[in-house]
Amino acid sequence: MVGKHKASDYVIDGVIILVMLIVLVVVMYPLLNALAISLNHADDTARGGIGIWPREFAWESYRNVVNNTITWRAYGVTVARTVIGTVTALFSTGIIAYGMAHSNLVGRKFYAIFCLIPMYFVGGLIPMFLLIRAMGLFNNFWVYIIPTQIGLFNIILMRTFFQTLPESLEESAQLDGANYLTIFFKIIIPISTPIIATIALFIGVFHWNDWFFGNVYITNPALRPMQNVLMGLVEEARFAEMMAAIAGQGGGGMGAALAAAGRGRPTSVRSIQMATMFITIIPVIIVYPFLQRYFIKGIMVGSVKG
Amino acid sequence: MNDTLAVPLRKKPWYIRLLRQWDLQLLVIPPILYILVFNYIPMYGIIMAFQEFRLGDTMGMSEWVGLQHFRDLWADPNFPRAMRNNIVMGLMRIVIGFPLPIIFAIMLNELRSIKFKKTTQTISYLPHFISWPAAGLLIITFLHVDNGTMNNMLMSMGIISEPIGFFIRSEYFWGIFIVTHIWKVLGWEAIIFVAAITGIDQELYEAASIDGASRLQKIWYITVQGIKPTIIILFILTIGSLMSTSFDQIMNLTNMMSNTMLRERAEILQTYVFRTGIGQRRFSFASAVGLLNTVINFILLLSANWISRKWSETSLF
Repeated sequence: MVGKHKASDYVIDGVIILVMLIVLVVVMYPLLNALAISLNHADDTARGGIGIWPREFAWESYRNVVNNTITWRAYGVTVARTVIGTVTALFSTGIIAYGMAHSNLVGRKFYAIFCLIPMYFVGGLIPMFLLIRAMGLFNNFWVYIIPTQIGLFNIILMRTFFQTLPESLEESAQLDGANYLTIFFKIIIPISTPIIATIALFIGVFHWNDWFFGNVYITNPALRPMQNVLMGLVEEARFAEMMAAIAGQGGGGMGAALAAAGRGRPTSVRSIQMATMFITIIPVIIVYPFLQRYFIKGIMVGSVKG
Repeated sequence: MNDTLAVPLRKKPWYIRLLRQWDLQLLVIPPILYILVFNYIPMYGIIMAFQEFRLGDTMGMSEWVGLQHFRDLWADPNFPRAMRNNIVMGLMRIVIGFPLPIIFAIMLNELRSIKFKKTTQTISYLPHFISWPAAGLLIITFLHVDNGTMNNMLMSMGIISEPIGFFIRSEYFWGIFIVTHIWKVLGWEAIIFVAAITGIDQELYEAASIDGASRLQKIWYITVQGIKPTIIILFILTIGSLMSTSFDQIMNLTNMMSNTMLRERAEILQTYVFRTGIGQRRFSFASAVGLLNTVINFILLLSANWISRKWSETSLF
């Protein structure tokens, strides 16, 4: 902004800063409050009025979650599907995007339309469910990996990036007798860090946060990822409340009933729920600020080409 | 990226060129076959909406029943309810949820402190990275009737005297839906507008200052006009998804629709497909509901695109 500031400018500045502060509080308060609950002694939490800082510090909820084998196993499933799913999907998406970036590709137009149609017209939940069932992927770890190999939108993002690479790179390698496969692995992949980071973040976050596959295709608890353990906790808590309500423990209602069941212990259903939630979301929360420039770039490319 | 060696004047037939670039085709064909299986077979599977699919049937080979499932759907009292909720929540997402990220992006751009701007933006897209199961658990706990933080705050401020059963009575659901939707997407959806604003020529602002334009005039005549094409494209996409998204959110706010107290306001077509198809194994009926949903989306997208091309010369295709 150039030159003098008028009084009205300061009013506008004030309003904008105020709105921004409100946004920050609305975004952060529920999370900080949950963090405080997870770190507070349950008896004290039951008295109410917990803000964003624990009044009576207690680590037990986290100790409880960390010592739980179910959590460890689920965490392992989440990590495994995220790593395997991201690496394999990057490869699958990368090869087709690289091929389609070539203007001399025979059938290029056909391939492009072939990839475009399913972006607007999808088969939907039920045919997909039956297909995966017919493939024998029920209660099978590979159900996380196989049906999630190629995202059509990611093809467009990667292809756009590959199209910006100089042709001379490829031509000189071809003169040396390298074929496209060699060029892709030896030359293209090493110089494509920006797009690989962008797509890896998108796919990685999808895998880490996905609950649908674990809910619909998996009944074996050993194959359940973290998100579904969280969902199980919600369901268990609701069940416990219903039971308490049905038992009708006098005038205190279900709150009193639940409190009575856990009185004196540093943890409660709620503090353990919040601790589990934080343990689930923390890796993503720590990673995303460092990858900002990558996903911002990815979104911009997508908006131009999408 | 052309084959530079030996390009004759007349193009060789396509099969010769195909064989010559076998290595390039080898990179494309396996993923294309993958897309054929995982995108086109389910698309073909839609015909089960006109058949009576039973487990064990080969997809598409079941007994034909014509429009039976659509007639059943018409007579089903759950259908108008799901349709109403879909439209109401979809409209809320457009009318309230679409302009807010734009306003947020413009306000970010007006901040003088770069540091404050960066920090605010980074924090604003934190909720995008939190999964819906985690967000659902957080929201349900925060709004809990029993010692939930929201109820405690409202009671201590004297606004209410009895805790509100946010997840016990369905009348609060639409409000919870739109507020939590905005909480989740505000920062993330603003990214694209922030980027578009960055692309506006700074000289325009300086020229406007010299001409004596006020700050609000600059916001309106330069910033908003500058990002108009982006707004239009995203508006088309949003209208196209009017009836399709929010499935994750609603499922995780209603314990996978098992919280029956909320169904009156929470059920949408997608959750109804899930309940009848995956839950009750009425595969063909659920496919019919799903097909109806897809067709509505498609028509909405095409009409939004058509209107936009007519009125503003910006369109998706």
